[in-house]
Amino acid sequence: MSPSEKTRRLSAMRPGASGRVLRVMRENPDRADRLMALGVTPGATVTVLQRFPGVVFLCDHTELAVEPAVARAIVVELE
Amino acid sequence: MSCAQAAVREPAADPLLTLRARPRRIALVGNANVGKSVLFGRLTGQYAVVSNYPGTTVALTTGRVVLGGEVCELVDTPGVTALEGALTEDELVARRILNAGQTDVVIQVSDARNLRRALMLTSQLAAIGRPMVLVLNMIDEARVHGIVIDAAGLAARLGIPVVETVATEGRGIAGLRDAIGRAAVPAFDAPHRGDHAHLAHDLAVQYRCYRRRSAARIQERLGRLVREPLTGLPILAIVLYGMYLAVGVFGAQTLVGLIEGGLFEQFINPGAIALVNRAVPWAVARDFLVGEYGLITMGLTYAIAIVLPVVATFFLVFGFLEDSGYIPRLAIFSDRIFRTMGLNGKAVLPMVLGLGCDTMATMTTRILGTPKERLIAVLLLALGIPCSAQLATILGILGGVSFFALVTLFGVVMLQMFLVGFLAARTIPGERSEFIMELPPLRLPQLGNIVRKTLLRVRWYLGEAVPLFLFGTALLFTLSRLGLLTVLTEAMEPVVAGLLGLPKDAATVFVMGFLRRDYGAAGLFQMSKAGELDGVQAVVALTVMTLFVPCVANFLMMVKEQGLKAAMGILGAVTVIALGTGVVLNAILRGLHVTF
Ligand SMILES: Nc1nc2c(ncn2[C@@H]2O[C@H](COP(=O)(O)OP(=O)(O)O)[C@@H](O)[C@H]2O)c(=O)[nH]1
Repeated sequence: MSPSEKTRRLSAMRPGASGRVLRVMRENPDRADRLMALGVTPGATVTVLQRFPGVVFLCDHTELAVEPAVARAIVVELE
Repeated sequence: MSCAQAAVREPAADPLLTLRARPRRIALVGNANVGKSVLFGRLTGQYAVVSNYPGTTVALTTGRVVLGGEVCELVDTPGVTALEGALTEDELVARRILNAGQTDVVIQVSDARNLRRALMLTSQLAAIGRPMVLVLNMIDEARVHGIVIDAAGLAARLGIPVVETVATEGRGIAGLRDAIGRAAVPAFDAPHRGDHAHLAHDLAVQYRCYRRRSAARIQERLGRLVREPLTGLPILAIVLYGMYLAVGVFGAQTLVGLIEGGLFEQFINPGAIALVNRAVPWAVARDFLVGEYGLITMGLTYAIAIVLPVVATFFLVFGFLEDSGYIPRLAIFSDRIFRTMGLNGKAVLPMVLGLGCDTMATMTTRILGTPKERLIAVLLLALGIPCSAQLATILGILGGVSFFALVTLFGVVMLQMFLVGFLAARTIPGERSEFIMELPPLRLPQLGNIVRKTLLRVRWYLGEAVPLFLFGTALLFTLSRLGLLTVLTEAMEPVVAGLLGLPKDAATVFVMGFLRRDYGAAGLFQMSKAGELDGVQAVVALTVMTLFVPCVANFLMMVKEQGLKAAMGILGAVTVIALGTGVVLNAILRGLHVTF
């Protein structure tokens, strides 16, 4: 697999899929800061738990619920 | 990993020998929901309201703690996720306390399961440069997850004491008291601005290791059942039904029956009347105490016998749901709907709390991200969310009419809320914030905690409500004595009797409702019990009442949160919408010859 096939936006990951955060897009700095404060930073392990009605994922040991736009800003390297 | 080779080096102690003109001040700081309030209670022997979501510790709690023979002041600050960058109001409050110069020692409380997040905050606190202690709380839960932290190694590296605790069981508290005396300014090199994440990550990897995890399975499975729509929505329905059984049936019918029908009508009121008649020679004073609008026969009866049981049972149920970690999960389901109303899923917290008391809920709107969201939430609370006393009246009256009547009322109210929210989202300037929410772990709540919390809230409610009930009754008494009640009632008659099609006595009820919404609701209850309302009238009156002007306490809270101008604006808008809706609803129901 090429590297691009192994990277995904969190919003495009299937429930159950996990990986490591590569980066958080900074087009909205406030959002990026908030995510960082909650532990969504490069290197953190994420596992998608569900996608509907909202995206819920586990980041290390914190369970987070976000709207789709936020999930799109998180770039993950799949395991 | 260095978990095994724990280098034990005492961090440099920072002796505080100066004589103090004021007590040493210690601040508890940390993410929301890490156990600060419980720890506060353990250290001071006092109790701060423990909650599963931010915004509840809004008013700062301070207490005294004796350390090594010295009395110190302990401050519990609101939960924070960060102290740099874009900050929420709670975070600004916390930072102001830290920077204020009166804080001598900072105790950072953290959830041991989230070491990385904790260290990110530690790194930011280090930049402030005060002596500090790092508490790794919830060690019990961390164990369950197989997490082991090398506290001694971390302490050596950071240059501050690191203490492990289980606040709920009181474990590690003695060690913490001890460590406060050794608090030190962090000695590691603070990273360049913004790079706290990097440092935190490195430290977490170095000082944390994972063992085989034991039984977190049930928690996980339960979390899944609650959050997935297929199982989550039926569970929500069951929870709501359970709430209705507890508050609407047990509280509003059984308890109210016992206290009002039993205690008050049989003993207290006749006793008070007999006593007053014998002891008070003036007719006016007698009337004032035990007459039609008597302080005891009306004010106290409503406050204690009708409203209190309902509010108390609601707070009990709410406390249970809150401590179990269930309420934040509702945000997942409601996020989409709230987004069309200019809010996000987080708004479900004040809305659910509003079902207990809108005044309290209005106060908690400050957990929302932007001024626009806070304004919309305050407006919607005032307009459409019935408090527990009103809910009880609605269920009590309309439950006796028909299920269809109930559906009509809630349908109309929800439609109005949605419409108003939809329009407000598009007309009020500003932005909504994005939905990013932490879900606390599901836990079995501790009974003692729930009971204490309920008692605290009931006390808050009594202190705030009973005086208003009595004030309202006194005002009513004065108005009626001066003949103004008739004037006011007659002035409102064209609207009430003509457009809304209600008996003209309902005008009195609306006047009372202005003083206190649930008070008015209770008045309607009496009218319906006396058979003065038919089905359509009951639905129209209750719809208007539900949408109507918030109670005085709620209005004052609106002024406090949003300023006088915004509060007046909301008051005006809500009044117009409530009356307008009532008029239209009445016309439609009469036009269609609905009888319920
Ligand atoms: N298992 C466990 N639960 C705890 C511990 N400390 C606090 N809690 C629970 O965590 C929840 C949040 O605590 P709270 O003091 O309100 O956190 P705060 O928001 O930081 O003030 C409450 O339900 C507490 O009972 C602990 O050491 N172990």
